[in-house]
Amino acid sequence: MRKLTVMLLVCLITIGQAWAQMRTVTGKVTDEKGDPIVGASVTVKGTNVGTTTDDAGVFKLDVPANARTLTISSVNFRGQDLAIGSRSSLDAVLASQSSNLDEVVVTAYGTQKKPEITGAISKVNSETLENRPFTSVDKTLQGQVAGVQISSGSGQPGSATDIRVRGFTSITAGNSPLWVVDGVPILSGDASRQTTTGNLLSTLNPNDIENISVLKDASATSLYGARAANGVILVTTKSGKAGKTKFSFDTEVGYSDIAYQNDLYKPLNTAQFVELTREGLVNAGFTQANTDATLNALGANAGQDFDWLGATTRRGQQQNYNIGVNGGTEKTTFNLSGGYFKQEGLSIASQFERFSAALALKHKVNNKLSFNLTTNVGIIDQESPLAGGAFGNPVLASYFLLPTRNAYRPDGSYNIGAPDFPNGALYNAMYIGNTDRRFLKQNSIRTTIGGEYNIIEGLKFTSRYGIDYNVLEEDQYNNPFYGDGQNVNGRSFFAYTRYTNWVWTNMLDYRRALNKAGDITIDLKVGYEANKSTGIFGNVGSQNFPPNTGLTLPIAGATPVTATRSGSDFSFVAAPFSLLNFNFKDRYVISGSFRRDGSSRFGINNLWGNFWSVGGSWNVDRESFMDNQKIFDQLKVRGSYGLTGNASIGNYDWRLLYSYDAPYNQNPGSRPSQAGNPNLTWETNYQLNVGLDFALLKNRISGSFDWYNRRTKDILLNVPTPPTVGFTSFIDNVGEMENKGIELLINIVPVQTRDFKWDLSFNYARNENKILKIAPGQTQTINGINIWKPGYDYQTFFVRQWAGVDPANGDPLWYVDDTKTSKTNNFNLAQRSTEFGTSTPKFFGGFTNNLSFKGITFGAQFVYSGGNYIRDAWGGFYNGSGQNPTFNKVYRQFAERWTPTNTTGGMPRYVYNNGRLAQNFSTFYLAKADYVRLRDLTLGYSLPKALISKIGLTSLNIYGRGTNIWTWVADNKLPWDPEQGVDAQSNLDIFIPKTFTVGLNLGF
Amino acid sequence: MKKLQTRILLRAIVACVVLATFTGCKKEFLDLTPFTALPPSEAFKTEADLRVAMNGLYGGLRATDLFGRTVPVLGDIMADNVYQHSINSNRYTQFNLYTVAVNDGNAAGMWTAAYAAILRANNILDAPLTGTPGIAQIKGEAKAVRALLYFTLVRFFARPFTDNPTALGVPLILTYDLSLRAGRSTVDQVYTQILKDLGEAYTDMTVVTNSSQMSKWAARALEAKVRLNRNDLAGALTAANDVINNSGFTTLIAANNASYWSAATFRTDRLETLFEVSMDVVGNQGFDALTNIYNQLGYGDLLVSDPLYASFTTTDVRRNLYFIAVAPSPRVGGIIVDKYKNLSAERDETKIMRMSDVYLIAAEAASTSNPNAALASLNFILMRRDPSAPAYTSTGAQLMADIMNERRKEFLAEGDRFHDLNRMKVAVERSTNFPAAVRTIDFNNFRRLLPIPETEINVNPTIKTQQNPGYQ
Repeated sequence: MRKLTVMLLVCLITIGQAWAQMRTVTGKVTDEKGDPIVGASVTVKGTNVGTTTDDAGVFKLDVPANARTLTISSVNFRGQDLAIGSRSSLDAVLASQSSNLDEVVVTAYGTQKKPEITGAISKVNSETLENRPFTSVDKTLQGQVAGVQISSGSGQPGSATDIRVRGFTSITAGNSPLWVVDGVPILSGDASRQTTTGNLLSTLNPNDIENISVLKDASATSLYGARAANGVILVTTKSGKAGKTKFSFDTEVGYSDIAYQNDLYKPLNTAQFVELTREGLVNAGFTQANTDATLNALGANAGQDFDWLGATTRRGQQQNYNIGVNGGTEKTTFNLSGGYFKQEGLSIASQFERFSAALALKHKVNNKLSFNLTTNVGIIDQESPLAGGAFGNPVLASYFLLPTRNAYRPDGSYNIGAPDFPNGALYNAMYIGNTDRRFLKQNSIRTTIGGEYNIIEGLKFTSRYGIDYNVLEEDQYNNPFYGDGQNVNGRSFFAYTRYTNWVWTNMLDYRRALNKAGDITIDLKVGYEANKSTGIFGNVGSQNFPPNTGLTLPIAGATPVTATRSGSDFSFVAAPFSLLNFNFKDRYVISGSFRRDGSSRFGINNLWGNFWSVGGSWNVDRESFMDNQKIFDQLKVRGSYGLTGNASIGNYDWRLLYSYDAPYNQNPGSRPSQAGNPNLTWETNYQLNVGLDFALLKNRISGSFDWYNRRTKDILLNVPTPPTVGFTSFIDNVGEMENKGIELLINIVPVQTRDFKWDLSFNYARNENKILKIAPGQTQTINGINIWKPGYDYQTFFVRQWAGVDPANGDPLWYVDDTKTSKTNNFNLAQRSTEFGTSTPKFFGGFTNNLSFKGITFGAQFVYSGGNYIRDAWGGFYNGSGQNPTFNKVYRQFAERWTPTNTTGGMPRYVYNNGRLAQNFSTFYLAKADYVRLRDLTLGYSLPKALISKIGLTSLNIYGRGTNIWTWVADNKLPWDPEQGVDAQSNLDIFIPKTFTVGLNLGF
Repeated sequence: MKKLQTRILLRAIVACVVLATFTGCKKEFLDLTPFTALPPSEAFKTEADLRVAMNGLYGGLRATDLFGRTVPVLGDIMADNVYQHSINSNRYTQFNLYTVAVNDGNAAGMWTAAYAAILRANNILDAPLTGTPGIAQIKGEAKAVRALLYFTLVRFFARPFTDNPTALGVPLILTYDLSLRAGRSTVDQVYTQILKDLGEAYTDMTVVTNSSQMSKWAARALEAKVRLNRNDLAGALTAANDVINNSGFTTLIAANNASYWSAATFRTDRLETLFEVSMDVVGNQGFDALTNIYNQLGYGDLLVSDPLYASFTTTDVRRNLYFIAVAPSPRVGGIIVDKYKNLSAERDETKIMRMSDVYLIAAEAASTSNPNAALASLNFILMRRDPSAPAYTSTGAQLMADIMNERRKEFLAEGDRFHDLNRMKVAVERSTNFPAAVRTIDFNNFRRLLPIPETEINVNPTIKTQQNPGYQ
């Protein structure tokens, strides 16, 4: 009986196979221009039977006799279903999908086609990321994504970049978005400890990136739960494509200069400085003899006129080389790349170098099982001088050092030591820059291994393990002869920092059609994720160095001073996260997501949090009543609401702790160091988003509009406690904040012919931030020059209002209060105002204009921002009307000072060591920050294929590019570059560069 | 078909097991402790932990606004001993001018640092460890330090006991409670707690290690001083005599006065110092040290009142601890404090309790009950500072005045004088070195007390109505 059964079974299978007779179908897949599409996927609909097109776009496929439809698809093209009928040859023309609905977008834990998306997501493609003269990918995104403010205050290559997605959401916790590379949440930001500015993302070569999705609203982000509140940036690196192996080689060279300089803020030359100082001494009541003596002590009679700004700045050189190999078979695909990038900063002792390599591999074991690997390795070597008020800061030196002091002695040696540069006075920056050392070496490996298993049709299991490994080694050396190391005979510090971060994600993804036509579908994802991050910190330092600047490491110092090792860690568990998407004929889509997150950062009473979102979209254009209209190609309404968390809080803030930092007689001593709060938890964002996507007139006009309202509750603040309890404050979730705004994106194609295309794109965002609640019992919290007050922007200046100069005597004047009815020359009698303004821009965005004619492309990208103020944080020193008179001043001080003959210049009488407090922070030191900048101007030419194929190339493109080459500012007295980070405060940082490059891209 | 379902089922089970494994250990996975700190439960496991916490308590006394600088400085500048020179770094100006405001930073700093240290003491005393002499010793030290802190607070922020024992003292916090919003206990209640702590400290402690740690004799000496301030003369005398007769501590003599003051480290020889706060190579206040406010290589802002310096005989070894500034000093002619010399590496300790104090307490406590004994104690000190000086023979009020005068000279620049004038309920009569408007500070001048800090008042409703008069 059993044997019989087996036999029958064998028979049945054999017969079944016999029934499934095969026939062969051939064809060619081309784009709209008739060019072949290589590597397009051709499958029999509803089966795993398929192939890809060859170099000529031709495919040949054995299909079951009963097969009815072929599905043809390719990246960047709109997919197509073709009925086979009885034909054995069929050709397909695929439409480009640059502004098309079927475009697939990388979303949280997967991809979605556009009609299914219910959230606010912006996508950036590799073309706008590649071959830009920027050290990290975050800088290249500036102006490209509506609602995302990106600003970097320092022109130091490799500097940190501030990113705010739809404004500030937090006061004490982080405000930066979460970066996810190939599915792995990575660490971003500045992890350096001895370097003035650094950026973990600078180890990632932007050329290795395929695309970026910026997730902005709750529906898009909430799958990232407790870390989603500040937005999420998904980076997908390049992967291999089956087909003929392709090689690419990109090279670029160029140079950079200062992007923005205001002539009013040029340092004075000797003649100007002496004239100004002499007047100041006379105004201060010095006798003729004392005036002369003081001036001579300042070098007035030394016969020097040294240009410190010219000496400490330079033209920076720039190089960038990338090679790539891409290809594979149907089973195994790969992408290999290597890159080298070098950029010199605009100051001495400022440069950046990166070596990078990437590998992406994907192997299909069979139709059910596949594995993949992506690895990105980057090594950077960065040299960065001091910034801010440090005497070793070359930018400070160029503005503060007197032109009467020469950096060099007549014999060409450095002029250090008395009389011009005595110990304790401002340093000779040229000597420091060329002798002291400040290096950062940063090595990162970001790697993901993963596997996918199709359990049954529509049900897929994915497991992914990712590692994000960053090592920072920082060396600082101060020579024993002069400068910061002089008093201790030279010193050297080494800091080792390692951040290791692993993430393990397991997910079941179930996709199923609910009807025969296959156009009513559900997609359910359920997963678990664990994540742990550890930071390790080591420091060694020594002093008493041999009198030889060739020995710079701590080993050479005779006296050890520091040897510490510490660390910090955090973990997250998502158990579970889930997403449900219901799609009715691409017309109506409803999505819901849920994530339960636990973190070591949360208090024991609030270890777990639930985050969720609901969203819906209505693709109006898919309605039957839209079939007969010719205007809209796309019309979609979306909406979402949900809550996300901000867990960018201290790793152990919730714990009551004893720390061991109170030694006594050099024996260990412990003390209660923080009160902790067992209820401590994440800050919660409640976000409502309504959006509209549209495309009309055959996609000639397209775009989207979003309106959002996000309220952050449970903001962490230090709540003051009576000192009698032993602590002065504890941290608690008490604050509230609101961000409301709109985002607009419009793309226009005014002309599109076979040879000529003109693209215009414009994006605009407006955000209004408002604090709603601060610590209980407090009406306001003064935070330095800012104030946190309910009803006001988070970055509101709390500042005395400048009222000009008394024309009668040149005294500085301030308004007594907000009524501006009376003025005073006594700084201390003027009230600080909350009404003046903020450093948060009210609006910002970008616009681009691209023209292409045959092989020639011309592109211009502008960025703009406005409605806020920038603080000249060091202005009191070079514009203080006589304060710090032994430092050099700027031309504005010289030109606009009050004199009996020039009473309307705008600046007070210059009095040597004056006591009028004009140097103190007032609105005099705030300038309107509005600007428009030509971020990118590119002219390129792709040689005709017919021509280059003769020399074995598939593509050859040459271009010239200018970056930041033109800047318009609203305030003609804006002292520094309008880009000064999101807090809009200048800090005598290295100048922001404008860059000119020429490049060549080869494909073969 | 069935087979397929089984396989799916199997796979689903495997997947679930995989998922369950790492959800199962998630509790430990989420319990991460810092690398550089411990939870209190881990910080108080053994006697050795308790000693480390005790070191932390001593370290807390070092705060600039506590014994690091402000406590000793105010004890002189608010009295008639030292004044702020016209060339200064603008530190303690408001005390020189008697213009202290309710938001005074030094007063708030002292209050905050003292209560932070009291928390450290309370946690040691609340630690569930008992049973060994070592633990008893440490807890005794903690009690003695807590008593010292309350004694300091009650004398700066409340009326003297001699004036009104039922007046508002300071909040008595004896255990950690973050939600506590304590009001002020009475002066008497505070003194009672201080004496309770000192009494227990005296019996708990068995070891005398060095002058930077509390010992039973330091606690006993402090008790004598507390009782003197409490006007308990008999009690003060008993305690002082106990220290004099039984402690084995000796006093300074003329020959070792200079070397005593130039020494930078704590002592182990039972000479003079019963307790001092150690400032070592690592744990010190840097520029904010007591030494720097007096020493001319530091800020050097505070100078000795001229008539006080003049009152030292030329044969008095204490006179050598001061000198007249000469050119090129910007403070030419002023009297410079040279008691503190160690500005780098090992710094000068802050003296809290000295044997000479114990003798002078004994003298004062016996001045009415046993004038001869009082004279003996007073002359014991005088002979060891100025061997050629004629011995005191005074009686009655003059004897009392002589004792006070000797105290003033002995403890100059150590922060003692102001509290003596307060408990004596007399005006501060300052020399012409001080600004003319503030040469006489009446006993009832409200600024003889420091303000309860705004940082406390603003968030503590109980104490809101208990501000010292004049500062409301």
